[in-house]
Amino acid sequence: MVPAQYYLVLSAAIFCIGVFGLLTRRNALLFLMSVELMLNAANVNLVAFSLYWGNVTGQTFSLFTMALAAAEVAVGIGIILVLYRNFKDVDVTEATTMRW
Amino acid sequence: MAGLFDYTPAVVLLPFLSFLIAVGVAISGRDLLPKGGAVPGIAATAGSFLLSVALAVAVAGGEVYNETVYAWAGGAVPGTEGLELTFGVLIDPLSALMLVIVTLVALLVHVFSLGYMNDEGETGLPRYYAGLGLFTASMLGFVVADNLLMAFVFFELVGLCSYLLIGFHFREPGPPSAAKKAFLVTRFGDYFFLVGVVAVLATFGTGQFAGPESFPVFAEEALHGEHAVNTFLGLGEETWFTVVGLLVLGGVIGKSAQFPLQTWLPDAMEGPTPVSALIHAATMVAAGVYLVARMYGFYAVSPTALGVIALVGGFTALFAGTMGIVKRELKQVLAYSTISQYGYMMLALGAGGYVAATFHLLTHAFFKALLFLGAGSVIIAMHHNENMWDMGGLKGRMPVTYYSFLAGSLALAGIFPFAGFWSKDEILYETLVHGLGGQPLLLVGYVFGLLAVPVTAFYTFRMVFLTFHGDARTEQASSPEPVGWNVKGPLAVLGVLAAGAGVVNLAPVRVLTGAHVDFLHGWLDAGFAELTVHHYEEIDPYSSAYIGGEATTVLVGAAVSLGLALLGLALAYKLYAVPTPTEHTAKLGSVRDLLYDNYYQDEYQVFLARRVVLPLARAADTFDRSVVDGAVDATSSVSLFSGSRIRRIQTGVVSNYAALLTLGLTVLLVLFGVLGGWLL
Repeated sequence: MVPAQYYLVLSAAIFCIGVFGLLTRRNALLFLMSVELMLNAANVNLVAFSLYWGNVTGQTFSLFTMALAAAEVAVGIGIILVLYRNFKDVDVTEATTMRW
Repeated sequence: MAGLFDYTPAVVLLPFLSFLIAVGVAISGRDLLPKGGAVPGIAATAGSFLLSVALAVAVAGGEVYNETVYAWAGGAVPGTEGLELTFGVLIDPLSALMLVIVTLVALLVHVFSLGYMNDEGETGLPRYYAGLGLFTASMLGFVVADNLLMAFVFFELVGLCSYLLIGFHFREPGPPSAAKKAFLVTRFGDYFFLVGVVAVLATFGTGQFAGPESFPVFAEEALHGEHAVNTFLGLGEETWFTVVGLLVLGGVIGKSAQFPLQTWLPDAMEGPTPVSALIHAATMVAAGVYLVARMYGFYAVSPTALGVIALVGGFTALFAGTMGIVKRELKQVLAYSTISQYGYMMLALGAGGYVAATFHLLTHAFFKALLFLGAGSVIIAMHHNENMWDMGGLKGRMPVTYYSFLAGSLALAGIFPFAGFWSKDEILYETLVHGLGGQPLLLVGYVFGLLAVPVTAFYTFRMVFLTFHGDARTEQASSPEPVGWNVKGPLAVLGVLAAGAGVVNLAPVRVLTGAHVDFLHGWLDAGFAELTVHHYEEIDPYSSAYIGGEATTVLVGAAVSLGLALLGLALAYKLYAVPTPTEHTAKLGSVRDLLYDNYYQDEYQVFLARRVVLPLARAADTFDRSVVDGAVDATSSVSLFSGSRIRRIQTGVVSNYAALLTLGLTVLLVLFGVLGGWLL
């Protein structure tokens, strides 16, 4: 059996890629993708621990996470559409009207 | 007769009702009532007078009454006894006597006002009668008050009414200014009174005047170690009681126009003359002396406070008398005589002469009301010219006024056998024997009082001779306007009282013959055990000593004061009872100016206000604006400035927020790691 640490390293790597994407990209769609990566990194963790302890609660939880992610994408796409309508662009650094 | 006492609040409420009616008429702006609202006032004061007499009769039958009518606030801090603030009624010989005096004088003043105000065609009469009604009601409320706080409330109401009435002719420049002065000067004293009231409540937990749970009783027990009280400022009990007594005395000095707060009273002559009569004889000025008499048991346990009262009173008696010598206006002379006579009462109270002071309060109420109403009659006749140098020769032209005025003057000057002689003589006698009993301070007061006797006689008869004797010095004086029954009636009643009221307390006669003719003494020695004369004599610090024997002292004292009074009278007769008198005061030179300008007291008080109080107030204002406001402003400007800087992190760029979030999370993780011990 593959030791738990490997899953954890994988999950940490995916999470960091997600964070990196979030911090460096300007395209709103790429934001959504990065967030998806981070959520799935968490899923990997949950499943890995579930396997390690022989307890299905973690896997059940990851199912909930997927549902959540689906909902998040639905809302996110909606926001991006509105963003595009208002600014003719999906570049998040353009929409800076809500500032001091 | 307990049923009668239940109607006691009506004594106060009747004049208040007349006030409400008059106010209603004044607001309606129409001439709804005949005589401009005088009738309800006369009816109300007459009702109060009858009820007061009935009460006095009941009190004479040995009944007294001390009940709480209404508790308007109360509460307790856990662990203490708590405090209840109440309105109540206390009817004992002293208050019953005072009720009769006040209602009688108020009634006569109302009747006199018909002649002085209505017949002279004054406007604003409903306002005038509203003021009179409220004034009477407040004073009666003060008289029946059963606790110090209630007394204070009505004391202040009396002050307010004096303001309203002195400033009655508010379209002229003088009266409003005099009204403000009266209000402010008495308020100054009342501040001390207010602090004193709070001090009494804090010290004893009660402000009751009578009963075993009253503060004079507690004070007495505390000095014997039988009752625990709260003292403050680390003072001992006796010292603290003296401090409290002197604080309350501040209000007394303001209202009773004692030195140095007497300056408002002569200016108060700007008010209508009947109002002056009411203020001087029965209400406002009497309130101060009455308060001391009311809580005499409390003052009696403090020799220092008594000494201060005696000295202030004696000094005022002489001081005010000297100023009366040179005045030209009729009412001014009377004003200074009032200050002087209340000085006598204070002297008596301070010297342990409780009965003497009450007696003088009684006789003075009659003869001073008489003199003021007589002056009012003269003023009507002279078409509101008050200058005595424009009068003369009125004796034959207005005999009723002259003879009643003469009776009042003889009483004021203390000539045997008029009322003032008996009361003033008793004051001087009490002061003398207690002074001889080892109180040199009282002997100083006695000398002041004795010196004031010829001065009083002199200015009184200077006034009489200038006004009524000699030749008429002006057109007006040779054909004075006639006055009606409503002026003569009150004068006649008061004239009889001023001449004969002395019979209620012929103390010297009792000493000489042994006959029990000192009725007032017996009257005040009944009622609540802790409010009787012999109780006060037990607790006051004085003992008596005599020149020769008691009878000799009485005779010597009476002879000396009567001799001095006759001396003053004779001097006035010699100087002014001539067909065409001249202003002899001019011979006094600069002393005359000093006296005429009231020893420059107004000037020095204005100086104090302008040069001392105003700069102090300015300094306080500056401190308030710079330091206190500065601290508040600094707090707000720091918040504003830091806010304006910190808000710049709200850039509106989502990436920045994400970066901050990540950074924050990282910092948190590192922090937890370091603190949790699994990192490093």
